[in-house]
Amino acid sequence: MPLSPTNYYGSGLEQGYWGLMIVTYPFISGLVAGSFVVATLSQLFGRKRLAPLAPIAAILSFALLLSAPLTIWGDARQPSRVYELITRMHVPWSPMALFLLIWISYVVLMLVELYAVFRAGNSARTEWAGRPLRAKIAGLLTLGVKGRDAGSLRRDERIVRWTAGIGILIAFLFHGYIGFIFGSMKSRALWSSPLIPVLFIVSAIVSGIALVEIAYFAIAKWNGWKIDRAIVSELNLWLIGALLLDFYLDMVELLMSGVRAYAPEETYEWFSRLYFHGPLFWTYFLFQLGLGVIVPLVALATRRWRASIVNSGVMALLVLMGVYMMRWNVVAGGQMASKVTNDIVSFPLVWTGYDSVQTVLGVFGVAFLLFLLFAWLLPWKTGFDAAGGIPLLPEPVTPASTASSTAPMTSRGA
Amino acid sequence: MIAKARRDRRAGADAVGTDAKATVSRRGFLGALAAIAALAGTAGGFVGRTASAAIKPVARPSAAQMKRLLAYYRTRPRWASWLVPELNVDDGWQRWMRTILNSKNLPITHDDFSRLGTTITQTHHWSMVIDERRCIGCQACVVACKDENNVPVGVYRTWVDVVETGTMVPDPSGPIVTDVGNYRSEVKRSSMPLICNHCDHPPCVDVCPVKATFKRADGIVMIDYDLCIGCGYCVQACPYNARFFNPVQQTADKCTFCAHRLDRGLLPACVTSCPTHARVFGDKNDPTSEVSVLLATQATTVLKEDLGTDPQVFYINREQEVYDENSTVNTVYPYTANLNSTDYATLSGDAPLPGATGGQG
Repeated sequence: MPLSPTNYYGSGLEQGYWGLMIVTYPFISGLVAGSFVVATLSQLFGRKRLAPLAPIAAILSFALLLSAPLTIWGDARQPSRVYELITRMHVPWSPMALFLLIWISYVVLMLVELYAVFRAGNSARTEWAGRPLRAKIAGLLTLGVKGRDAGSLRRDERIVRWTAGIGILIAFLFHGYIGFIFGSMKSRALWSSPLIPVLFIVSAIVSGIALVEIAYFAIAKWNGWKIDRAIVSELNLWLIGALLLDFYLDMVELLMSGVRAYAPEETYEWFSRLYFHGPLFWTYFLFQLGLGVIVPLVALATRRWRASIVNSGVMALLVLMGVYMMRWNVVAGGQMASKVTNDIVSFPLVWTGYDSVQTVLGVFGVAFLLFLLFAWLLPWKTGFDAAGGIPLLPEPVTPASTASSTAPMTSRGA
Repeated sequence: MIAKARRDRRAGADAVGTDAKATVSRRGFLGALAAIAALAGTAGGFVGRTASAAIKPVARPSAAQMKRLLAYYRTRPRWASWLVPELNVDDGWQRWMRTILNSKNLPITHDDFSRLGTTITQTHHWSMVIDERRCIGCQACVVACKDENNVPVGVYRTWVDVVETGTMVPDPSGPIVTDVGNYRSEVKRSSMPLICNHCDHPPCVDVCPVKATFKRADGIVMIDYDLCIGCGYCVQACPYNARFFNPVQQTADKCTFCAHRLDRGLLPACVTSCPTHARVFGDKNDPTSEVSVLLATQATTVLKEDLGTDPQVFYINREQEVYDENSTVNTVYPYTANLNSTDYATLSGDAPLPGATGGQG
């Protein structure tokens, strides 16, 4: 019901200029930042139990990072002029112009990190019997540095720690700048808020954890592995923490915009008209706050529930849906609040063509294909043994452990 | 008959020939006539050449071109622009900055607007005063603007909304009879011309990621359509909704204060077309201009002053802040609502009748 264009009414002059692609852009970049944060949990913050997930989280993050610009590129009316973002970059005045700087530095950093994370595994793959082509590709990906002794592994680890440390800043910058694009707009009462960048970053972490969890479940099912409940519990614990922060910020936003005594008049007026009584009631209270935050918070409250795989999977999906709805509520809500008349601006959901459900699915499809490509290209299974458990990685890395970690690969083909 | 004419002429010559002075005068007259004819011919030739050089006639399209043109007009909006290949692009349609946007090559800024008038000399500072007392809502300015600037169907560079203040007041002897009692109207409707405010601190220009939009030294905010990537950031950032996406050229678009006319000493089309002189345009830097005099002598307001954009369109007799959601001012029917949607019917039905069925207090 809230998504039907016929329910809306508004002036004919104003319209929603940013559609579903711009709803998806912060969602995807949030997944980029969030899954990167999951990778850094083990790489930088010493959560060794999550270490097997770090490679897959990094691959996810990189695949989504490469596909995130497709949304804004597809949304631009003159996509062929995109080179102007380099030749005529309006920094530091335009928040949007920062995009290319941040994105390129993020891509470079991710390349360095992926190289260091997968160098040892690639080096092992060069000796892959029976797969000469893939052995050659793996050799190329090591850039000729094939050592697997303790010294090289320590160097890899050092590079990973540095890139993770810088990367988490860039990840926050990447997602924070997107929040700032909305927050910096004083023309829109519901966007013009210093809370928006922070809210975006926190919900990004939430969505990233949920995505990595789902990816882990899917991979384990695909490979016939036994899912490690310890990993799931730990991920859920982080998810709970991020969700609590997210809930806190949501409540702050609700209080600062939805209470007449506290909020600026225009903000309150539009907030109450759109979210309390208007077309965004269900997407805000039911999907974003209820199913997206409160239900997962309750359902993951006890240790037993956190270890349940079905429960975790469903909750992760709900969290992802809730974060997408949060993006929808921000992007659509800001534009439904008319700037010049006193009516709600119509914001129809387009199914096919420019800026539609179809193009959004296309972008997700590209991200998935890139993920499959990188998963094929890179030896991300080194953290798991043949049964999907984690035999080795909590201990300090030794030459013997790498040798044994390559063993299942040569037999099973990674 | 020819012979008769010759006879007459000869007779006339004989008659005039009696006066020596007159003979000289005739010769002088003929000489002058020849000189004028020669001058006029030469000048005409020059003018003709110049004109033909300036305005190249569009070549008659070939049959194949005609077919394409017809197909184009059948599928696209009937709006001719430089995008239509059959128009002669050599006429200057592609050189926006040189021919239309900034023919006088004034300095432009993309940010840091405090430089205007300080380090960047402002010979003019164009602004507009809109006298709402005079506006009769005839929409002539809207039409003139569309005509002058080739604005496509469905979007507007200037528009006139109809706004309403006040409510129906319960009154036993009121002339409006409803099921819940009689009412007296204390409603006032007025027309509200809207246009880009050409702010002195325009947020739309700052946010452009590729410096496609700019502020000219004389204060006009414009878009270079050849550079715009169509991201929509400026459209979102304008607090007055004065920017829009041009559906034909697929870039952002907005009012230019008719810069192409200004640079040739003409007034903007909406000002020229206004039958009641409700729109006054002029140079704020010139203390004798009508705009300066009005600003000095009349109480004026600007829209959304609290945003600090420093608009350069001033309103006389703006009773209340019309954008204020909580005030009693309502936009009742924007003429610019698209008629092919249901929006128009919804908006026009907003008659405030407190307590009555269907009314909104």
